[in-house]
Formats: sequence, C-alpha cells, structure tokens
Amino acid sequence: MATVYLGIDVGSVSTNVVALDKQGEVLHSVYIRTHGQPIKALQDGLRQLISDLGKNIKVGGVGTTGSGRTLAAVLAGADVVKNEITAHAVASSYLVPEVQTVIEIGGQDSKIIILRNGVVTDFAMNTVCAAGTGSFLDQQAARLGIPIEEFGAKALNAKNAVRIAGRCAVFAESDMIHKQQQGHPLEDILAGLCEALVRNYLNNVGKGKEILAPIVFQGGVAANDGMRQAFSKNLGVDVIVPKYYGVMGAFGSALLAKEMYPKVSAFRGIDLTEREFSTGGFECSGCANHCEIVELKEGKKVLARWGDRCGKWSNAAAV
Amino acid sequence: MEGKKWRLGVPRALFYYYYGSWWKAFFEDLGLEVLVSPPTSKEILDMGVSLAVVEACLPVKVYYGHAAWLSERVDALFVPRLVSVERKSFICPKLMGLPDMLRTALKPCPKIIDSTINLSRNPQKGLETAVRSVARTLGFSGSKVLKAKEKAEKCYKAWLAKQREDKLTAGTTENPINIGIVGHGYLLYDRYLGMDIPHKVQKLGSRVYLPENLTDDEVEEACRVLPKRLYWTLGQKTMGAVLNFMERDDIDGIIHLTAFGCGPDSMVGELAERYARRCGKPFLLLNLDEHTGEAGLNTRLEAFVDMLTRRCSA
Repeated sequence: MATVYLGIDVGSVSTNVVALDKQGEVLHSVYIRTHGQPIKALQDGLRQLISDLGKNIKVGGVGTTGSGRTLAAVLAGADVVKNEITAHAVASSYLVPEVQTVIEIGGQDSKIIILRNGVVTDFAMNTVCAAGTGSFLDQQAARLGIPIEEFGAKALNAKNAVRIAGRCAVFAESDMIHKQQQGHPLEDILAGLCEALVRNYLNNVGKGKEILAPIVFQGGVAANDGMRQAFSKNLGVDVIVPKYYGVMGAFGSALLAKEMYPKVSAFRGIDLTEREFSTGGFECSGCANHCEIVELKEGKKVLARWGDRCGKWSNAAAV
Repeated sequence: MEGKKWRLGVPRALFYYYYGSWWKAFFEDLGLEVLVSPPTSKEILDMGVSLAVVEACLPVKVYYGHAAWLSERVDALFVPRLVSVERKSFICPKLMGLPDMLRTALKPCPKIIDSTINLSRNPQKGLETAVRSVARTLGFSGSKVLKAKEKAEKCYKAWLAKQREDKLTAGTTENPINIGIVGHGYLLYDRYLGMDIPHKVQKLGSRVYLPENLTDDEVEEACRVLPKRLYWTLGQKTMGAVLNFMERDDIDGIIHLTAFGCGPDSMVGELAERYARRCGKPFLLLNLDEHTGEAGLNTRLEAFVDMLTRRCSA
C-alpha cells in the first residue's frame, strides 16, 4: 500500500487537492471550482483523487490551507492547518529553492511574499478590494465573450497595448468599453488590461517591497500568458511559472504534512466522500454580542462549532 | 439639579481607555453615581453604526453606540471636548466635535457635560480650568473639587503603573517570539472593536508588548530621531512606541493596528512602516473595519507569527 500525503486548499474560487508520495513527488492534483459550497467541493475533489489513484492508498498525513482551512481540517481530519502565505512560500521554495519573490494572484486575493535564504522575510496581501485579482479577469472575459482560457493567448497577439486605468475594477471596465467603442482591436485591449493589473498589483500589494529575482508567479492567474508577459516586461526579468502553479497552496500544505510526519494521521478515512455532512448556523443569544455560530454536522452528530467569541459553543463541541 | 444625586454616564470608548480611571475617581469622590457603559458588543456597535455620520471612523461610531446605550439610563453624559492633553500636541478633530455630533444624533439627548480640555499652552493651568469648569456644571466648587482632583490623579497614576507592568507574556511555548503591538488604546483594549488582537497574538505563542508598557519618557526619547514633533498626541505615542520597539533586539516584529478611515493614522502608519523597513524590522499593518469576518485577519496574524518563528530559528 502506497503512503500518500494530502494537501487541501479550500479557497474562495477554487478547491484544490494534491497527493504527494513519500519522496515529495506530486502523484495527482485536482482543481475544482468551489461555487460557494466548500464541503461539496472538497468531497468532489477527494472523490476524483481517489478514483484516479485507486483505493489502495494509505494517507500518512493531511494538511489544509486557504480561507476554508478550518472547515476542511475538521471535515477531513487534518494534521496541520496553515495559512496560505506559509503554504505558498513552502511550495515555491521547494520547486525553486533560490526563489526571492513570490507573486501569487488567486481568485479573490493577491499576495506578495519576499524570501531571503529560503525564509519568508516580508509579505503583503491586498486589502478589502479585490480589483486586480482573478475574479475581475474572469468577469471581463465573460463580458467580451471569450473563454478565460484563450484570454492570455489573445493578449500575446497584441501589437500595441492600449492604456487602461487599473486603480479600480469599475474604472477599468468603463475605460475598456470606451477604448472598444473607439475601435481598438480586442487583442490590444486585453494586453492593456493585463498591464493595468500588473501596474495595480505592483503599486498596491508590491508597494515598498524589494522585488528581486528569481521571481515565481503562481496562483490561478499565472495560467494567463498575457499576465505573465506583462509581469516580465514590467519587472525587466522573466518570471518563473512553476509546473503546479494553480495548486501551490495545496502542494505546500501537503509538503507541510509530510514534513510533520505524524505517527498516525488524523485523516477521517477515504469514505468521507460518501458521508453526509451539513452546516447550519444560528445566532447565540447568550449576550449582547449575538455571535453567528456555524456548526458542522455529520448526520445528526455535531462535529464542530465556531464563530463564537467566548468559546461557549466551540469548546463544547470539540471533536 | 441642585441637591439631587447625579447619575453620570461615561461611554466606555475612545479616551475612556486612557483617562477612565481619572474620571471615575474624580466623579465618585464628588459623590456622583457613575455609570460606565458595558464593554462594546454587537448591539452597541450596531446602534453606533446606525446613528453616526457615515464618514466617521469605526471607533467614533462605537462611541455613539455607547452614548446611546447610556442616554436613557443617566441624568447626564460626560463627553469632554478634548482639544489637547499635552503641550503642543492635539487630539483628532473628530473627537473634539463629539459633543455636537451626539446632540444632533441622540433623540432624546440627555444633558451633555462638554467642558473643553485644552492643555496645549499650559498643561497645569489648562487642567485646572477644565476641572473647575466640569465641577461648576455639576454644581461643585472650592476645596471639595481640589480634593477630588488629587484623588483622581492618585488613582490615575496607580492605574498607569499597573498598565506598565501588565505584559501579555505567553507561557505556552519554550522560546516564544516577541511582538510589539501598537495602535490607539481604544483599539488595543476594546476586545470587540479591536478584535482582541493582543490576546490573539498571545494565543499564537508570542509574547506581546504594548505602547502602555513604555513610560512617557521612553516614548519622547524614541521620538527624538524625528525631524519634528508629531501634531497628534496619539500619533506621537504610536510613533514613539514603534521607534522604541524597532531599536530593541528583544522584539522580533511590530504589528500596527489602525481603524479604516483614521485620518492621522494614514500618515503615521506610513511613516512608521518606512522607519521600520529601513532598519529591517518586520512590520505588519492591520486595518480594521466593520466586517466581523475574522478569516482574513487571522491569516495575516498567523502568517506573521509563522514568519517570525521561522526567521528566528533560521
């Protein structure tokens, strides 16, 4: 029976599962859209993974990350729960050991991680605004009627990228429509949009950071060749897009689980894909805070609760 | 109100976190019944948000909530017009305007005691004038007021000393990292509004240092490297703490907590970050607003603590 280490990244837009073997090689990776249903996405992801790898596997350890990491940790039984920054940095420096800068643009957030000698020395994330992240590209591609997969290739064909305001997604959109109506070719507008996003990223997320090569560009948006080219052009050096750029968070948390090497994994078994899980919520009326409590249930059994400030519910339901 | 025992409401918000002990001791020594609003809760926050002007920062909105909670339970509200609490430095104008803003927002509005406190020219004289003015509104004068002031000063000093000693030292890990957390007192100590960041950081296995652990002299001394004195009292305090923590080898990183929409902090935060970056001290800026979703905040805190831990062991 082969031992595998699982990494699960439950993000706002996508849920990724990666399985590593004992040597740290990726055996399989799954990328699924979360569609606002993290439990279902996670179960689907595991199901796909198991159907490809076969049931004859032993899970040696599980790591979770992403904004849904707590939920995923309880659901799957995780040995290590880590934030996205650490997971991404670990994955990046595993694939490109001498990396000094990581640019990560995902569905709803973007981050920059500065590493020196393999250690994170600084990082920043976008603030409340999600302008300049994958969601915006998605939305614009849909508006222009081109599949997001073709976006990058089209942008590369641009002869003369037009200038588009990148500060705010709403401004960018009206600017794009304006350029469109003036008669600029689609390719030039797409390339202009990529450049605007890169400018916005470097001015906001990357503000004041010492961006040194080698630079790794990862996250779902790294699939976009137009963005890759815009970054390379703007930074004056070719950015490296690693092989597993879309699932780096999951990859990193699998590496962390492997590094931790638990004697017995907390994994709840491969049949968890077929079990009934549900979440519910209620407002606690214990005090004036009216905390919104979330509970995760398997059948009728409460697995975990969270959301309370005082610990009244979360402690009571400790698994 | 002559002869009647006053029931005075003091909102537990903004400068309560700096001078609450002074005020409470003073009024109680005068024989008043002091009612301090309960710690910030969702109810108080919601009340404040619905009453306050939209462009105010969250701490000011929370202040509205506390005042509203008190308004039906007291004879009068104590909302001093804080202009300056020390020589040549000032308090944010939004706070100076509190009494007027509350009068238009609270319906019905109880009597508001809004004596001006301005110590910018002559701290000692300014304080005496302010204290006499507050006392006069309540119907007190003479030696009784002086006695109450003395008592209040004593209580305040004792409270300051206690705060200096209060360190959030974690006993959970063997070699904890040390983090300095700076920001306005009403964010650091209001556990609901400020999302309880100091305790959160402590729970992640770190030892926490706060600006209140420093003496005024230490703050002033640290600020000497600045080309000029900061105009804002709280800005000066924040900057002094950042500069002090920055120079110390026993502090591994600094977290600056600010409220979204804070005018003074938009400048001070940038200044602090530049100084910290120049000397290579890890610095994390956290911006708080109305959202109660803590996921984003926790991610940043965890990542920061992880980073410091890995840096220290590398």
